[in-house]
Amino acid sequence: MDLKFSAAEEAYRLRCREWIAANAHHAAAVAKAADPVQAARDWQRRLWEAGYVGLAWPKAYGGQDATLTQQVIVSEEMARAKLPPLINTIGLSILGPTLVLHGTEAQRRRFLPRILSGEELWCQGFSEPGAGSDLASLTTRAVLEGDDFVVTGQKLWTSLGPIADWCFLLVRTDPSAPKREGISYLLCRMDTPGISVRPLRNAGGGVHFSEVFFDSVRIPREHLVGELHGGWKIARSTLDHERSGLSGVISLEGSLERLWRQAAAGGEIADAVARQQAAQYWIELEGLRYLGFRALSDQLAGRQPGASASVGKLFAAKLRQKIARAALDNAGPYACLTKKSPHVVGKGRLVAGYFDSLGYSIGGGTSEIMHNVIAERVLGLPRSSGEA
Amino acid sequence: MDFELGEELVALRDIARDLLAQRWKAESARRALDAPPSRMPGELWAELAEMGWFGAGCSEAGGGSGLGVIAAALLAEEAGRALLPGAMTSTLAGAVALDRNGGAALKAELLPQIIAGSLPVTLAVEEPNGTWGPDSVEVAAQAGAGGLKLSGRKIFVADGSSAGLFLVAARVGDDVRLLPVEAGAGGVEVVPMQRIDAQDIVELRLDGVQVGVERMLPDAGAAHDAYAVWTVLVAADLLGSAGAALAMTTAYAKERVQFGRPIGSFQAVSHRLADVQVNVEIGRSLLYAACLALDERRGDAGALVAAAKAFIGETAVDAAEAAVQLHGGIGYTWELDVHLHLRRARANAVTAGDAGWHRETVARHMAHCYA
Repeated sequence: MDLKFSAAEEAYRLRCREWIAANAHHAAAVAKAADPVQAARDWQRRLWEAGYVGLAWPKAYGGQDATLTQQVIVSEEMARAKLPPLINTIGLSILGPTLVLHGTEAQRRRFLPRILSGEELWCQGFSEPGAGSDLASLTTRAVLEGDDFVVTGQKLWTSLGPIADWCFLLVRTDPSAPKREGISYLLCRMDTPGISVRPLRNAGGGVHFSEVFFDSVRIPREHLVGELHGGWKIARSTLDHERSGLSGVISLEGSLERLWRQAAAGGEIADAVARQQAAQYWIELEGLRYLGFRALSDQLAGRQPGASASVGKLFAAKLRQKIARAALDNAGPYACLTKKSPHVVGKGRLVAGYFDSLGYSIGGGTSEIMHNVIAERVLGLPRSSGEA
Repeated sequence: MDFELGEELVALRDIARDLLAQRWKAESARRALDAPPSRMPGELWAELAEMGWFGAGCSEAGGGSGLGVIAAALLAEEAGRALLPGAMTSTLAGAVALDRNGGAALKAELLPQIIAGSLPVTLAVEEPNGTWGPDSVEVAAQAGAGGLKLSGRKIFVADGSSAGLFLVAARVGDDVRLLPVEAGAGGVEVVPMQRIDAQDIVELRLDGVQVGVERMLPDAGAAHDAYAVWTVLVAADLLGSAGAALAMTTAYAKERVQFGRPIGSFQAVSHRLADVQVNVEIGRSLLYAACLALDERRGDAGALVAAAKAFIGETAVDAAEAAVQLHGGIGYTWELDVHLHLRRARANAVTAGDAGWHRETVARHMAHCYA
């Protein structure tokens, strides 16, 4: 049992750190750019050319065939340096692994390198107004007409909707089949006639998501991923990718340190309640960190993390919310002023962080669903409904 | 990097789980409540010694397994799961403390006896001053012609009526040091404290007990290190309690039918159990981290030990309370094992420091890190 990196891995980390230091001015330029989307694409391409994007992906499609440990090292170094997130993150985290597993050779060669370089930005069309946690009840229809699918329906919670070049989506191709057996997985250009995008303002006031409407949108049959009606299993196989990972720990570290400094005077928190509370969050964060190391060790040894990723997601979302809420509490009524107020503290970031934290127990599988997954798949309890 | 248990550790844990399930029944723990303290039969103790368990946490040079503190923690966890009397865990802690901090002569004299099972050992640190740990020790050893002389009271000494050797924390000059005191030495008196789970917890009265200066553990940090090792083993025992309470309740929720369905299909039940499972996994991660940090003598070891004890203590009490509640009426009976785990968890949660006391240790670590 050890947590040591090999000499080669330490050398790899050092090279990564040096590259980040040498390119820090490019990273800093992204936030200030006149065209932030183009700047973010350029930044992703720069990282990819240096070998720091698509580490897990096969070399044949522009990846690195890197080890899992190298992936961890890069994500740690990027988080530590507070580099801007990769703009094509949805394509990288969800569609890429899906195509590696289930795409045709032509699809992999066509799409994977452009996901990595940021040349084509992707959005996800899974959720619908009537299909959230119960995703399999989705109703967006696709009918085969000759060599095209004709798609009609509405998708919701689509990140990057207004700027994405492509969308991967789940559609119902066989309404008469049981609901999980009539779904297909399609890839669609966002400039196809019949698509309209409406930005959706979230509770915190920001615009991250959009609604995407499909009105008789024609998608060539070659853009079907996997078997016709076989989309549900494909989508399920990469949902766990979204849930695992150590990367959240580093951003929580930053939140906790800010919470401590906010409440501390002369380096110490005097208030006994606030002090105990901060210590409890440190304990929970360390628990999350070492849970991540255990999951990683399982993966390195070829054991599937599977449902244990749900443990981390559930716990991390709750911890993020507790820290964000404590930060608001500590700032008292000043925390609840808008950033335009002359009395605002921290430029309104506390409230933004608080609203942001609330999304973590909804997106990527709600905490209620995570509880079901743990109860059913880890503890083996009977299903709470006819399905899961 | 590998942060999961290696094959040898998994084998040790599995053997311990099977053997204890066969040799020690919860019924014995229940019977002990009416005839305390809970003690294991001599033949079981001899069998554990035969298996080499008492040296599980010691170095190979010390006659142990060389697998690290984690090996002792896995045995302590199984002891908690099986409701085994605490003497094995106390002896494991004493053995590891001596192995890590003893001088060559003391180790050569004591460790073989401890590992062979002929010298059960325990730590005596706490005093009736309302707090925990070596820093609050007031008992002071007086230097005299015959060496050091100890007088005072130690309380909440685990497994004290069966121990052959006490490692007593006492002030010597400016430091708190560890002094070995034989149970049969003149001036030693043991008085049972009667804990709610019938564990053999005693008050140790010392009246002019003589200890040779040369027998004092040489390292000035020995008392703190020994206390950290003991703390992590109590945390491991608590993790075993939590696991047992969770397993028992999960099994019951699968078979108990109400409203025509197993109660485990109701989310009010299943989500509470899922929360316990989450906390057990986080607690296990903290326990392994603390053991590894102790083995590597890292600077954050104290904070991680505190983190593990604080978190797992609360987890175990939550797990046992959930077990009582989710079993319903039957869970509130003497005949079911649920209350045995609640008793043990509740008592161990406030042994070797409670959660609030350990969080203060963590807070000091945070202040240091963020300075």
